[in-house]
Amino acid sequence: MEQTVCHKEDLQPGEMMESTLGKHSIVVCRASDGHYYAFLNRCIHQGAPLSKGKLCGAPAPTEHVGEYAFEKDGDILRCPWHSREFDIKNEGRMLVNEKFKIKNFNVTVENDEVIVYNG
Amino acid sequence: MIDTDIHERVMYEELLPYLEQPWRRYIEDCHWIQEKHMPYTQPAVAGVDRADAKVPDGRPAGTDLAFMQEQLLDQNGHEKGILTGALDPSPSSMHGWYEMATALATAYNDWQIDKWLDHDDRLYGSIHIAAQDPQGAVKEIERLGSHPKMVQVLLPIDDILWGDAYYHPIFEAAEKHDLAIGMHHNEPPLYYGKWPKYFIEWHTLIPLSHMNVITNMIFNGVFEKFPKLKLIMIEGGFTYVPFLMKKMDQQYKDLRHEVPWVKRMPSDIIREHMCFTTQPLEEMKKKELMQIIDQIGSDEVISFSTDYPHWDYDSPAEALPPNLDDDLKKKLFSENARNFYPKFRK
Ligand code: FES
Repeated sequence: MEQTVCHKEDLQPGEMMESTLGKHSIVVCRASDGHYYAFLNRCIHQGAPLSKGKLCGAPAPTEHVGEYAFEKDGDILRCPWHSREFDIKNEGRMLVNEKFKIKNFNVTVENDEVIVYNG
Repeated sequence: MIDTDIHERVMYEELLPYLEQPWRRYIEDCHWIQEKHMPYTQPAVAGVDRADAKVPDGRPAGTDLAFMQEQLLDQNGHEKGILTGALDPSPSSMHGWYEMATALATAYNDWQIDKWLDHDDRLYGSIHIAAQDPQGAVKEIERLGSHPKMVQVLLPIDDILWGDAYYHPIFEAAEKHDLAIGMHHNEPPLYYGKWPKYFIEWHTLIPLSHMNVITNMIFNGVFEKFPKLKLIMIEGGFTYVPFLMKKMDQQYKDLRHEVPWVKRMPSDIIREHMCFTTQPLEEMKKKELMQIIDQIGSDEVISFSTDYPHWDYDSPAEALPPNLDDDLKKKLFSENARNFYPKFRK
């Protein structure tokens, strides 16, 4: 199944929008480098709608107490409820444990339209 | 289901019509706001709120009944929901100027009835008081105690030792009016009376502040003096309860002679008088939940709560482990709360 979800310019880098793919609610994200990513719009923790969260950055793991290195601005999808962080450029894997991920879909841009595929 | 922790929120200007002078002018003219204690910048997307709970017209989460009905009560099929306030203002936590605290409590209660309880059959309320002045607090409980939708007196878990005899008139009045005591932490300092460096430390140890209060109330004889009194501990979860029961029972066996007015095992007092709301639930397997219930020795003292609209909201459909027995689910989601609250029992 495939679905045209928006025009290329409808989303700026660092922005996201809610859409549908068949019967699924999905969230389409545009990363800081301009690429598009799409995920099931449902957090794997307790099911919150991820599109109501925030595309933002996150402090990288550091070696010393008190040291912050904010990175990946615009590439981290933060859940609107309990704030868990998913890396949209790493298949939606959870920052705290890469074993867990939100379901991702393939995305292409054809004739300036953003198209999401299932399967 | 009966949701035992829902936070409605007042904007200060909404309280003005319910406030007498001179109190009104301190907000109107002097822009008084409650002193806030928490030193952290909350790390979630929208501060302490669910980011999707902001009212569509831009007002803060928890300020609009219609939106709460849609997002919480209708969506989850709530049978009942108990309002526990935003803890701002929290009259019992105010330092000094008890008269203003008393006036604020009264205004808040009237606003709560007028704007929430009168407009949705499912919603029940908490009586807010200024406990620093127990006589004034008792007056407020007397004024509203027989209101059919007021089911508890709400007290903050703060740096106050509620078991002290000074506060007993409040418990006496609550018991008399079939009101439970609801306790909800209000930014209590935890680390030896100080704030830890990080929010995550503070938030991890909230149950400690609940343990303080329970221990203090039991050994100060509150439940011997008021044998019908009910206490619901809100938003501390329940996974600490097995430890506390065991520890108190062991201590009681050794040190009963220090508190001879306590005549039952603390664990029995807990089972007989208390209830614990579930949120914020740790992720656990069914087996782990059953072990905790087994150690508590009862499946009737835990009651589901969402904490809507806060960031650490628990979803009724997702927060508990899957495949629980129907009987247990019924207890956790409604029967336990129905049996706990004296007004629901009647
Ligand atoms: S529902 Fe997403 S972090 Fe809990």
